[in-house]
Amino acid sequence: MEPPPVLAPRSFGWLNGRGLWTLVYRDLRRYWKYGVESIGGPIVSSLLFLAVFVLALGGQGEASGGLSFVQFVAPGIAMFALMHSGFSNGAVPLVYDKHEGMIQDVLAAPLNAAEVAAGYGLSATLNGLVTGLVVLAAMMPFVALPLGHPLVALLFALLGAVLFGLAGVLIGLWAAKWDHYSAAESFLILPLGVLSGAFFPLDGLPGPARTLILFNPAFHAIDGVRYGLTGYAAWAPGASLVILLVVDLALAALAWRLFAIGYKIKP
Amino acid sequence: MVPPASSPRPPSASPGAQLAPPAGAPRARDLGLVNWRGLWTLYAKEVRRFLNVSTQTILAPVVTSLLFLAIFTLALGRTVRTLGSVSFAEFLTPGLIMMAILQNAFANTSSSLVISKLQGNIVDLLMPPLSPGEQALGLAGGGVTRGLIVGVAVGVAMWAFIPIGVYDPVFVVFHAVNASLMLALLGMVGGIWSEKFDHIAAVTNFIITPLSFLSGTFYSIERLPDNWHLFALLNPFFYLIDGFRYGFIGHADGSLWVGALVVLTVNAGLWTLVHRMIATGYRLKP
Repeated sequence: MEPPPVLAPRSFGWLNGRGLWTLVYRDLRRYWKYGVESIGGPIVSSLLFLAVFVLALGGQGEASGGLSFVQFVAPGIAMFALMHSGFSNGAVPLVYDKHEGMIQDVLAAPLNAAEVAAGYGLSATLNGLVTGLVVLAAMMPFVALPLGHPLVALLFALLGAVLFGLAGVLIGLWAAKWDHYSAAESFLILPLGVLSGAFFPLDGLPGPARTLILFNPAFHAIDGVRYGLTGYAAWAPGASLVILLVVDLALAALAWRLFAIGYKIKP
Repeated sequence: MVPPASSPRPPSASPGAQLAPPAGAPRARDLGLVNWRGLWTLYAKEVRRFLNVSTQTILAPVVTSLLFLAIFTLALGRTVRTLGSVSFAEFLTPGLIMMAILQNAFANTSSSLVISKLQGNIVDLLMPPLSPGEQALGLAGGGVTRGLIVGVAVGVAMWAFIPIGVYDPVFVVFHAVNASLMLALLGMVGGIWSEKFDHIAAVTNFIITPLSFLSGTFYSIERLPDNWHLFALLNPFFYLIDGFRYGFIGHADGSLWVGALVVLTVNAGLWTLVHRMIATGYRLKP
């Protein structure tokens, strides 16, 4: 007679790929479901920004590096949309899951802390990236961009999306209420996104502000993307790349750690 | 304000009634011409609702407006020095104050109605002995109050950076009050029409934001090409911003009297619409 089969926990290998994809896919679907808000909103507001800048300037004006002001500002507008969308797609699902108690589904699933952090971070990154690309595409008919190094632009856009996606995940973990989310958006994310050189050239700034802005990681993402799209960078793109990688890794490590200890999600 | 015949108000006890109720019997409360206490209670609830989260509802708009000021003075300051006799920053400041008023008056009434409808506590608005006019006035009053408080807060914060004088306070107050009222009423129309958050978000993104951005907040409409110039003149928000700005800098792009007339007409029309929506219970009552 054969011995009964030994019951053992299911083995997932080193990565529960299906579980990770399920978590990512859930939030990608959430993004598409509210497409009018998540894509339509940024397109309209970005085109309005572009229109206002063009109209306020009365057509053309020269910004830095021989670019027209519109060429200068278009990559900034797209990156602003990307960063804002990355942030909200990182934070909103977490606040929502915590608020409605659905976070249990994630915690009870056979996913380790790194996979949960990656799941939330990855969906936020992808949603942010899609928003940025769609906004850029919507502006292309109105702005002539040389697109010198498209892959460089894509790399910096990706790193910027990771940056704000992970910032969103961290704030989503921290926020106990929607009020906290709104406060973080108004007092941290919008200032970081706006005071980043997205909308104005650096040489218009007073001296100390020009140094201070280098401490804003959003500046490096925007400057890198602008370099890729227009060939003009206000600072060294290579150094920006290193800074972004370091900050992204640090945020990822922090997110991993917070999910591992169950910060504000486990009793 | 005389309530219409369809009002849910209990009839006034008339002294000449044939069947006098026996002493001590319950009878409908007489609320008089206006239910002042009910109106005040609704208004106070609407005001407390936003004061309770004043970080989001007052401080956040102040920060956002200062960020706008920073963007536009840094981005355009070098190129566009002056518009007529005023600097670009002085031109921009009243526009930014007005934009904050518009967005917050709209947000207050629309969010109040949509949340009440979704959570079911809209019955607390519909059941009390308030006429449609009183309901509309209480809700709109909350939106107007938020618009004006945010306007003052943003104005004071901006004044720290751009010390702008007041040229004609009558225009400042007239347009601030009418702008708050117009957007509070629009917020009520949008809030009553919306059945989900998506709907009101769509109204905000695709109607209110474009109208407020393309209204001459950031640029003089004299810069626009001809057909766009005409389009700007059809936007009621333009007259709000233009008249409000005149109150500060003493220069208007359009006619002030046409502006005041348009603003008052639009508000009267919106008031009639909101009153009608509430009286018929459009998307409010089953």
